[in-house]
Formats: sequence, C-alpha cells, structure tokens
Amino acid sequence: MKELALNQIEIHLDSNHKILALPYGKAPLSYFVMLIKAGSEKDPKEKEGLTDLWAESLTLGTKKKSLEELNFQVEKLGGHLEGSAGWDFSLFLISGLEEKGSNLLDILHEIFFEPEFPSQEIEKAKERRLSNLLQLKDDPSKMADRLIWNMAMEGTPYAHPLSGSLSSIRNITLEDIIHFHNEIYPKQRATLFILSKEVKTELLEKAKDTFLNLITNKKDEKESPTTPPTPQSRILIVDRPDLTQSEIRIAFPSLPRKDNRYHILKLMNYLLGGGGFSSRLMERIRSQKGYTYSIRSSFSSLKTYGTLTISTFTPTTTTYATFEEVLLTIEDFIKEGPTEKELEEAKRFFEKSFPLRIETPKQLLNEIILQETYDLKFQNLFDEIERLKKINAEEIKSIAQEILQKQKMQVLVIGNSQRFVKNFETFGNLQLMPYKDVSP
Amino acid sequence: MRELLNFRRYMLDNGLKILILEDHSLPILSYQVHVKAGSRFERPGITGISHLFEHLMFRGTSKLGPEEFSKIIQSRGGIVNAFTTQDHTTYWENVPSDQLELVIGLEAHRLKELKLDEESFSTEREVVRSERKMRISTTPYGAALEELFSLAYLRHPYRWPIIGWDSDLRKLSLKDCKEYFRLYYAPNNMVIVVCGDVIPEKVLDLICKHYGDLTPQEYFHQTEPEPPQRGERRSVFKKPVELEAIFWAYHVPGIDSDDIFPLLGICECLSGGKSSRLWQKFVRPGKATEVRLVADPPPFWSKDPGLLILYAIEKPGIPISSLENEIEEEMHIFKRKGPTESELEKVKNRLKASFLRSLESLFFRGLVGGIYEIKLDGFEKSWEILEKYESLKAEDMIQVAEKYLHEDNRTCIVVKSISIEENAKFGLIE
Repeated sequence: MKELALNQIEIHLDSNHKILALPYGKAPLSYFVMLIKAGSEKDPKEKEGLTDLWAESLTLGTKKKSLEELNFQVEKLGGHLEGSAGWDFSLFLISGLEEKGSNLLDILHEIFFEPEFPSQEIEKAKERRLSNLLQLKDDPSKMADRLIWNMAMEGTPYAHPLSGSLSSIRNITLEDIIHFHNEIYPKQRATLFILSKEVKTELLEKAKDTFLNLITNKKDEKESPTTPPTPQSRILIVDRPDLTQSEIRIAFPSLPRKDNRYHILKLMNYLLGGGGFSSRLMERIRSQKGYTYSIRSSFSSLKTYGTLTISTFTPTTTTYATFEEVLLTIEDFIKEGPTEKELEEAKRFFEKSFPLRIETPKQLLNEIILQETYDLKFQNLFDEIERLKKINAEEIKSIAQEILQKQKMQVLVIGNSQRFVKNFETFGNLQLMPYKDVSP
Repeated sequence: MRELLNFRRYMLDNGLKILILEDHSLPILSYQVHVKAGSRFERPGITGISHLFEHLMFRGTSKLGPEEFSKIIQSRGGIVNAFTTQDHTTYWENVPSDQLELVIGLEAHRLKELKLDEESFSTEREVVRSERKMRISTTPYGAALEELFSLAYLRHPYRWPIIGWDSDLRKLSLKDCKEYFRLYYAPNNMVIVVCGDVIPEKVLDLICKHYGDLTPQEYFHQTEPEPPQRGERRSVFKKPVELEAIFWAYHVPGIDSDDIFPLLGICECLSGGKSSRLWQKFVRPGKATEVRLVADPPPFWSKDPGLLILYAIEKPGIPISSLENEIEEEMHIFKRKGPTESELEKVKNRLKASFLRSLESLFFRGLVGGIYEIKLDGFEKSWEILEKYESLKAEDMIQVAEKYLHEDNRTCIVVKSISIEENAKFGLIE
C-alpha cells in the first residue's frame, strides 16, 4: 500500500482538539468537516433526536445571518452545508468551490461560535421533522429499517431513531438545545478535517487560529460501563393488506467497534450477505431461488453495542419460503463456515478494492471520520487490510456461531399477513400489529 | 476541466467505438460497455425486455455459471453492476488497474458465449418482477409516476416504464430475448469506455484482440415522435398514503438542445438547496413536506424530448389544491421576473460545483464520455457543460420558462389518499 501513502497534516490544538488536513481530489473543491465525538446515544429519554436537532439548529441562523441569508451565502459559494448526528458523533459539513475555501471556513466558524438558535426557525424545523416522519410511514421499506433497529437495540442507548420520533420531537424545547450547546458539546473531543485539491498554508493557519476557540476546560464525566442486553427471540408481523411484496428484516446482537474481533466480523458479514453476488444469501435466495431482487446483511458496530441485520423483500407468496431459506443458509454457514476459496476471495476483495473505496474526497472523508470517531489512528486505514489477510476460516465460523444465534434473533415482517402469518406461528413469541398502529 | 474528460476515440472495422482516458492518480480503472439498447427500442407487448436482458447478461456463459461473472470481478477487488435507461444499457466494472485484461476478456466472452436457457430466464424474470414491486408497487408514489409518463406521452416509447409493465414481463419469452440480443448487442451499436491507470495503446490492442471478430448487425428502428401537447392533461390516482401529492410534468427538449441548460438553471433556482425559492416559500414555513422541480443533469438528460417534473408532497392540514395554486403563482413570478443577479450567481456556482464533485470519480467521468457518445455521437459536447453553466443568463431562463413551463404543455397527477378498505375495490398494484 506504499504507493497510496497519503500526505496528511495533523495539528493538535490540545489533547482533545485537532485539525487533520489532506491534499486530495482532482477537481478544484474543498471540504471542511467538524467532527464532535458525541452523538445520539447521548439523547435524554423521551427527548430522542435532541443531538440531531441541535446539529441542525446551528445551521438555522447565526447572530449575523438569518437562515435564508446563511444558506444563500453558502450556496452562492457553490457550497453545501449540513449539520447532523450519528450514533457516536455529530458532524458539520461545508463544501464548495476551492477558490472560495476561506469563505467557507469563515461560515463554519460563524455557525459554531456565533449561533443564534432562532426559536421560530427551530419550531419550524421540528414541524418539518414531524411531516418527514409521516412521509416515512408511506414507505414500508424505510419503516422496516426503523422498526428492526429499535427491536435490535432495545435496552441500549441506541434504541431510538437518530432524528427522533413523533412524540420525542414534540418534547424537545429550545432550552434543551441551548443546554446541549453550552454544557454537553463543549465537553466533547473534536476534529476539524480539511480536504482540498490543494491545502494552502494560509488556509491551514487560518483554520488553526479560528478553531482555537474550541478549547474549553470542560471535560465530560467518565462514561459508566453498560451491560449489554440479552434479547430473547421474537417475531413482529405488521399487517398491510395492500402490499404485494413483504419486507423482511432479521437482526442479531453483534460486536461493539472496540471488540478486537471487529475485522473477523467484517469478513464474516461479507461472506454471509454483505458481498453481493459473492455472498451466501444472494447466491441462494436470488440466484438459485429467484425469490428477491436483493438480499443483504449489514452490521453496525458502535461504541458500546452492535447489531447485524439481514434485509430483503419478496412477493407475498414467497414470504415464508424466503424466511426459511435465510435460516437454512445461516444454519449451513455456521455449521461449515466458509470454504477456503470463498475466504481467499473475500480477503482479496478487501485488499485490492481499497483504492476504489477511497477514490473521491467524500469517500476518504467517510473512512477517516469513522477512524477518528473510534479513536483509531489514521494508519489504521492501511493496517486493517493486513489484519484481514490473517483471518482463518475457523475464526469466521466461530464468530458466525456466536452472533447468528436463533434464540436471540429479532424478526420483522411487513406485508399482507393473512397470506403467511400461520407459518410463522410455529416460532412462538409472535406479535401481530396493524400498520396503522405503527408509529414512525 | 477538459483534461478530466479528454478521451481518445478509436473505432474498429466492425463499428465498435472505444473511448480511452488516462489518469494515473490511483491504480484503478473503470471499464464500461454502453449499448444503444434501452426501453425506447421496445414496443408494447415486450416492454421491460431491455432491462430484463441486462439481468440475463449475468446469468452465465458456456464457461461461467450464474452470477460467476460478478464473483470473479469481486474476487479481484472490483465492483460490477449494470443499469438500463430509456436510451441505453450500461455495463460497468471498477477494478484495480492490473485487472484490465481480465475485464476485457470477460466482457467480450459474455457477448460471444452468453448462455440463455429457460431455467435462467424464468428465475431472472421473477427477480425482475420483485424489483418492479420494490420500485413501483410498494413505494408511495411509484405507480403514480408511471401513470404520469403514460399520460404525458401518447406515442413516444418514453410512455412505458423502463422496468416494463408487469403483464408484459409475465408474457415475455426466451425467444423474444434472443432476438433482442441478436439485433442490439452488436459491436456497431456499442461504445466501450476505459478510463484510469491504463496505457491507451495496450487497451486498444486488447480490445482489438477480444472484440475484433464480432459481427456488426444492421437494424431499422424508427421512434414515433411525440406530437405537441395541446392542453393540460390531468388525472387522479387513489391509494392508501399518509401524505397526498401532486406531480406536474412539462415536455422539454432532448439533450441535443441548448435549452436544457437554462432549464437546469430554473430547477436549481427554484428548488436547489435551502435558499431556493420553493424551499423558502413552502418547505421552510411548513406549507408542504417537500416541493421540487427536477430534471436529470447531463449526461443523464434523455436523448429525445423528455419531462421536467415538479412534485409537491402535502403538509397535513393544508389542502393540496391550495398548495397547487400557490406553486402556480410562484412559477408565474419566476416567468415575469426571472432570477435576481445574486440568484443567478448562486445557480451557476452550485451547478458547476455539483458537476465538478461528480468528476472526482473515474466511473462518472466514464459515464459522461460514454453516454454523450451514445446519445450525441460525440463526447466532446461534454466539454461545454461547465461553460454553459457559467454563461447562463437571466433572460434565457425566462424565455425557456415561458416556452415550456405553461399549462397547455403540462400533465398533472394528483395522488389522493384512500383507506385500505376503499383500496380493496381497486385491487392490488402489480
């Protein structure tokens, strides 16, 4: 990987705040991202969505500019501005034409250090979120993703939607947002990323000067260790008689990001359902059976907890058959593990596709933001490939056996239940619910 | 910018066109085969065959099993996929540059030795029917959008969906597919694009070696032109939805017209970003959940006259009819006054930045070259894109708004919400 060495510049403002700059990209564009290491896992109970709304609030106007003026100015620079929360981080992205880089940096500084928190705009933002949730309810696929996440994460700080729910959004007040800004966010560690075709010294110096204000004496209290929940298997069937195709989700508890078997999990997921046509699930359910256009497994390894989810859809008539085939595929996989050929091909994929995964500045940013969020060194991007290459079939099999346990499985089906509900009854612990009772 | 799209063009004796672009910044390449075979080449009864055929291209050859093509590419660190549009079908592989010979060999092999049997055909047809349900039947407004196109076009093949009508998919036969393949998958009907860490001479040698013996095919295809619309067409689509919506479609010219740039400027001015007029007027104050005026930017803008679509999704409590009237008023204001000077500068910068952002990827650069070559017989036209954005004028935007965005040229679908019980009388959406 020597030929891919990246010339990053790291400036440590203090032990908790730094700037990471990287000349990257072919087009004359600049990207600035402020990463705050606090995410929606910090949302208070019944005020879920607070962190995400706080992040949006900073983009709704400053002491100097109204929402309209702020957005107009950004967009006039060919720019794009967004503030949002992830599970373990929040981020603020501003990007635009490279020649306007200095102006973009000024705007990012202004939204952080001169926020206005306009109450009327925040109320409107809450209203927009409520409408968006209703819009989401019209899409069974998105509702399925939302419901299975909550089922899989029950008992953890992650068991809610990032943007909040119909009830929690209404509970969030302006005071909550200001409190978060004054008391929670300043205690967090932060990194400013700068990616640009060319990183000029003046721009870097300016970034250094303006973001020294990030440093505060406030420190977050030590997090108390969380006990992972021990879920019992259950099936939730949501009835929508007008659908001709069912959405199916199957989730298992999985590993947090800090687990040193994370790389084995990554490879296992690729072999099971993350690797497209090279995965067991796609081979059996789509290529052989023709039951679906798409089936995949994906995993989220967060700071304190993780989940692995299998997602697919299939015509109503093949709903149960698809579910059965997924279980049989898992059974075979945990019994035999991958073949040597499958394993070698998967490792080669991760090794050889690395340059493709970091081709554009946006792709590289996504990778390094995750490294930074979980306190991994920049070099880890490269080291990870070496670790993947050393994994053997027995390790994959062992982690598959540990994670893909039927007795911990959470199942969600949205569809015309009359046509398949009886088949699922044999699994026990089944709950049937009409779609109208599902709250987004 | 030209250097990012500075392809070299070659043509083999059998009519196969090749575009090559050198870029050694990373050890990767994008290999693309663009075939002039999209839904516009279909006819009622075989709608969806172009897209179904795209799936069959992965179902195996004399030497490869189903989906083995994709598995081999992935095992070498590559990503592979394909997509079908109204005008063309594109197969692509993004791979490490040391896999050049492999992708050329594999792509040529499946053109020569494709295995088309009943078993693969039946399995893949069901996969496509599942894809159709995913895209059309189970999405909130997919079926309404299908109806919008079939109402807006009376004669032109853009009136049917790329994925095809479900009734046609059920009737399609393997024989239909074999005939489609024979006619359209010929070297004189394709453009190959290779861009990335490659030596052009080596690429050309390999393509000559693997594709040189393919036989060209003559075919005659005449597309029925769409007559001018002579008055608004309006329809209601009822289904169970939480939020009602309206869709307006205006007939606009094809990609060869210079009018597409001011039209894109209008889309950007009215609904690009949070400072846009429609966002500020409707979404910000909570009058609508979403309002957008959208068109596919080049190279994806359709070859023949297409549709510019405005859609608005209601905010509960605000009648869709009053929303429609207010949007209409906003369109009139734009036609009278056009963009302000400041808005014009913003629109230009946003369009430029958005195009430049996509040029960061070799894959997209390949698409720009290949699709321009397929649609307009010349990738060089893509060099003008940034200049066209830079030279946008307020008066041109007003002029095209008056020319195209008027009621007589509009088709409208209103999506009305009904209960599940009421829905039962209409039957299921397939």
